[in-house]
Amino acid sequence: SSHEHKLNFKKSKEACLSYIQDAMLQKQWKRAAEFLTFYVESLEKDYSREPIGPSEMIWRIGTEILCHHPHSNMKEFNCFIEQMKTLGVKRYLKVCLEHVFHLLCNGQIDEAYQNLSLAESWRFGEQTAIQDKEMKLIQAYRALLDYYSWSKQKNILSEHGKCLDGFADLSVEQEMHSYFRKAAVNLKEIIKIPGVWDLFVKCYVDLLEFYGDHNEACQVLNEYAYNSKFPANPNAHVYLYQFLKRQGESKKSLISALKILHDIVPSHELMIDFNTMLQKSKKRKKRRLGLEVIFAALDYAGWKENVKAWSCLARQVKQIVISEKHLDWIKQEWNSRKDWWPAFHFSRYLAKRNWQENKSLSYEKALVAGILLGKDCKYFKYVSHQGCKAQVKKFRMLKKFVNRHNPVYLRISG
Amino acid sequence: MEFPAALFPCYFGAGPPREEGGPPLAAGWGEHGQVLEGSPGPGRPQAQPAFVPCRGGTGETWDPAEAAAVPVLPPSAGRWIPSPAPQDILYRNSVCRKLRAGRRGATLDFAKQLGHFFVDHPEDAFGSMGRLLHKNFYLGNSKLKRPARSSTIRMTALMKDIDRLEAWRSVCCHVPCPAQLWEAPLSPHLTLSVPSRGCHRQHLASRLRWFSHLCRDWLFEVPLGLLADCLHEELLLQWSDLLFDDRLTGGALAWLPPSNVGSCTGCLVYPGGQAMNHLFFQDMVLEELPRPRGSPSQFELSGRIRQVAAARVDGEDFVGVRSDYHCGVWRVPGRTGTAPAPLQVIRTDVPASCLTVSPHLPGELTVCTQSGTVYLWSVETGLQQLRHDPQTMFFRDHSLWRWSDFTAHPRVLSCADRTGLQCLDARAPKKCHFDLFKVGEEAGCQQGERVVLPMYLGRAHPSQHLVTTQFSTYMLDERLPLVPVLKWAHMMQAPPLFAQLMPGDPGRTHKVLLGASRTQELLLLQYRGERWSSRRGSQLACQLAGAPLKLHSIAGCLQHLPTQLPHRHHLLQQRLGAPAAGLAAALQEDRTCETMLVFQLSEAGDVFCQRLTHEAAHPPAPTSRDEAPTAPGSSPLFEAPASSPPTPAVPSPAAALRYHRWLRALFRGCREHPQHSLPPSLSQRRLFTRKELEGPTGPTALQRQVRQWLRQVMREGGHIQRWEPLALQPPALSQPPEPEGGLDLLSTRLTAAWSGDWEQWWEDRTSFSVAQRQRALRERRQRQKRARGRRSLSASFTSSLTYQSELSELSDAGPPLLSPERPHVLSQEGSPPAGSPLASPALDEVLLSSQSLRCRGIPKERRKTLRDYLSVWAEAPPEPPELPGSQASQLCIPSSQSQLSSASQTRRKRPRMGF
Repeated sequence: SSHEHKLNFKKSKEACLSYIQDAMLQKQWKRAAEFLTFYVESLEKDYSREPIGPSEMIWRIGTEILCHHPHSNMKEFNCFIEQMKTLGVKRYLKVCLEHVFHLLCNGQIDEAYQNLSLAESWRFGEQTAIQDKEMKLIQAYRALLDYYSWSKQKNILSEHGKCLDGFADLSVEQEMHSYFRKAAVNLKEIIKIPGVWDLFVKCYVDLLEFYGDHNEACQVLNEYAYNSKFPANPNAHVYLYQFLKRQGESKKSLISALKILHDIVPSHELMIDFNTMLQKSKKRKKRRLGLEVIFAALDYAGWKENVKAWSCLARQVKQIVISEKHLDWIKQEWNSRKDWWPAFHFSRYLAKRNWQENKSLSYEKALVAGILLGKDCKYFKYVSHQGCKAQVKKFRMLKKFVNRHNPVYLRISG
Repeated sequence: MEFPAALFPCYFGAGPPREEGGPPLAAGWGEHGQVLEGSPGPGRPQAQPAFVPCRGGTGETWDPAEAAAVPVLPPSAGRWIPSPAPQDILYRNSVCRKLRAGRRGATLDFAKQLGHFFVDHPEDAFGSMGRLLHKNFYLGNSKLKRPARSSTIRMTALMKDIDRLEAWRSVCCHVPCPAQLWEAPLSPHLTLSVPSRGCHRQHLASRLRWFSHLCRDWLFEVPLGLLADCLHEELLLQWSDLLFDDRLTGGALAWLPPSNVGSCTGCLVYPGGQAMNHLFFQDMVLEELPRPRGSPSQFELSGRIRQVAAARVDGEDFVGVRSDYHCGVWRVPGRTGTAPAPLQVIRTDVPASCLTVSPHLPGELTVCTQSGTVYLWSVETGLQQLRHDPQTMFFRDHSLWRWSDFTAHPRVLSCADRTGLQCLDARAPKKCHFDLFKVGEEAGCQQGERVVLPMYLGRAHPSQHLVTTQFSTYMLDERLPLVPVLKWAHMMQAPPLFAQLMPGDPGRTHKVLLGASRTQELLLLQYRGERWSSRRGSQLACQLAGAPLKLHSIAGCLQHLPTQLPHRHHLLQQRLGAPAAGLAAALQEDRTCETMLVFQLSEAGDVFCQRLTHEAAHPPAPTSRDEAPTAPGSSPLFEAPASSPPTPAVPSPAAALRYHRWLRALFRGCREHPQHSLPPSLSQRRLFTRKELEGPTGPTALQRQVRQWLRQVMREGGHIQRWEPLALQPPALSQPPEPEGGLDLLSTRLTAAWSGDWEQWWEDRTSFSVAQRQRALRERRQRQKRARGRRSLSASFTSSLTYQSELSELSDAGPPLLSPERPHVLSQEGSPPAGSPLASPALDEVLLSSQSLRCRGIPKERRKTLRDYLSVWAEAPPEPPELPGSQASQLCIPSSQSQLSSASQTRRKRPRMGF
């Protein structure tokens, strides 16, 4: 009968849980809270070997309820979490971390810092791999808060530097350095592990740059961007590029950094900077690359209505057409796109909509369409007709230009 | 479309999934995941950094406006045949247990299905063999003669044995084990499933076993081994479909939003018809409850519609329709009132598992088949094969399901199987591809997790994708492959097969609806992710916003429907509980409020809708630090009533009207085809002419009179204590009067049981009945003594046959007169003894009416003598009735009087008694 009792207990436990779940999914937090008080009984005979035991459920559900309940307050929340921390050793760090997140999101930075320091000093036997990761995260977040304190002191100092000097500055400076040390150690630690650490990397590089350790910063950023164990994070390349730019590095190294970003994410917004950089270059190869970059960017749906990108393309195409050199570049780029760009970019529907919504976009696109598809292209015809009707000089010039260079179209498409 | 300046921190590892675990029950709750520095809010001091959580941020408030989902379309004509249930396929005992155990533990009821085959297709199973053998199988009942017996079997005897065995088996408590059933499945009746242990009907079985042993190898038209193989395969297939049917992935319902902003007429595309092979385009007007406008355009297709996908390109809607072996594409012009035009159809050799419509280029779709082939299908240029690989991508998985969708680049497609997603370039599919999602440590998956539904979220953000597994939902960004930008355990009971996106305007959340098939679950999620038109510098990583909201399921409306008769209730339950087959959603903005309409399609072809209203942002609750400390032990959580607006408890009048109409149409539809469900029957009218069916000659005078009287009493509002015509007849007495006044046996017993002293009642009853029986016996003996003379007299009238038949007719004509349900009316002391067979009460009554006497041919003068004679002995003092006083006055009618006043004229004049 004890087996039966266990079964019944299990059944009622499940039923109770499903009631709680139902209430929560319908945002009936009060009802869920009432059910949860009954569910707490399930802790008494916790025979389960399931991955998520009742104590974890109570923590999760209770947290969620307290986050949404109309009458909950921070004090109650803290009280609940403190109890949950004692409920399971394996989960202690996780609960601490979540508690800290909650405090941070509610603007209680100091309390969060205290909790982090407390969790950091926690020891219990041998740590599992997951606990190890959690501990590293706790340290990293504490370091992040240290970094914020550091930058606060830095701001005070810079403000003071303008008006005051003396002892106050010295103590502030010392405090700032101690924050730096505390932050740097742990930040350096976490960014060695493969992962996405945008926030930590940025802070660490900022610290290093302030103290003039550019080599270390450069190394950290390179490691973050190019280590194959790390995911292909576009931000890693962006940070490196921004760092190089701040350092006033040569065009060449900037271009090589952006070239890699282009290979990973052809649709990144930095591609416009990249294109303008390449267009200005004297080397033919680079200008060729610029054309490739801008064509590739405009392949993406997200760039469809980007005026900047279209004007970049229009400018470069116009240049090539006027100089009548390197028409083959356009031809090559166009070859792989001529079967779908007309429908994707240059349909009559889009001509109408672009004209209504954004005249300058339709101007740039009409120029490109006129050159790539000839003067009989629907898009060009519609926009130039509308433009001439509206007596805008720009559009009359456009029409003339395209008509004059119509043979180019034949050469491109031929 | 900028990339977020910083992403939420996370670890990254490669390899197979490490985390163990089953379905996470509450895993989606209570976690912020990670935090990131966000823009400080208006109320926060600038010096402090502000953090935003990955999960658990604030979302928009959407509240259900109705108590349950409401039907939007009349129920589809034609009967719906429910798909097989577990109890059809599995052994009865093991259904519950095995459903939980899943695929491995299930025991399929193979023998039953084989039996069904033999019954349903006997021609295929035994046809020509039967013709060959018919000489040797004797089907008559008589014994076989000598010479024939050597070459002929008497099948009737065999059948009898089987029936007996069956009857015994149904009584027998232990169910045969499957192995035994496997052994000798000969025909439905020949399944020899005799439990070996302790069978006392062995001798019965031995003959059958002998027969089956002889015939097992050659009796069948189709070789049994082959048939069994096919059947078993089919059973396994059905069972796996029952566990998880992935052919429905994507859903067969689409909503084409209004083409211009001000209009509120959209189009609903859904399958219908008995085989779900008709495609309907129905214009819908979005009001409080959407209603259809005009009749739908309809297309008949040659297969069951599994999926309807739609996308809008250049102001025109393209609708792709997938059935198992055919895919088609329709164009719906933007102008309302123009009919949808079919563009192209393709046929596949292997069932197609996916069809998606390009949001970038008109008339472009992708098709996947179960053979692992992915095609790019353009209406203009035809099919282009991008990949052919029967193997799964990242590790081995047996599922044949494949999926593909579009990405931010119109020439790059995503391809998915159960193990993950890959993107490939249609211009060079062999060379250019990258992994977008992998079931593994990269995304922090669990062991056993599989991709269920990928979806391109292009309308909200050009490079984001949604991937759902049976446990979690992942948000992916093409620009950062393999690392989900958002992960959340959805906690749904069944894997979500349908998803719908409702993009939000800048600054608002995007909404995603997830829908499961078998459980009809619907979940509304909200997330924030920058959109292409967002301002520069404000881009933030993807976050889940607010708590998920569970929406109504179709089955949930059952409790709001009017009460039905049990069989109708069952029918409704089955109908409304049918698995979901599609999901569509529409956002609509009015001047005053914003509403979300969610359409859900069931496998039965019903389309239900529910409305949610957006509650505009209200001022945030006071922060924690301002609140006064509460007394220890008392929690404010349970005291004050919650302020959250509750879901309405009852359907609105409009919804109730919809329910009413829908139910009426449903049951009307069900009545139209009764012959499908009922066993074949013959109408009486075919067997008999109308005249034959009619009663003898209309109602008799007695009946007419009683009716008239009844009407009169009803007019007066009184009640009939006893039938007056009864006064003429000595009523039947078959049981002694009840001791309790007025209450019949059952009522008293129930009353006693209700008050709890039933046992007491029973004892009283038994002791009473002993005394009663003794008394009854005594009475009977006395009565018999008295009646002896009369019986001999009345026997003299019972000579002719016509009399007998007339008698039965008469007694038939007046059932209320003899109704045993009116014991107090019938309980007449002094009536002729019940025990004597001839002197039945009706008989006496008939005998005494002058009419009947006349028609027996008794002369007038003798009639008088007879009556006098009878009256004389009837006037003899009856046994003193042993009735409680109160009843006695009512019940003890001077029967002598009534018996004597036989003529109909006097009957009318007589004052009514007993009132």
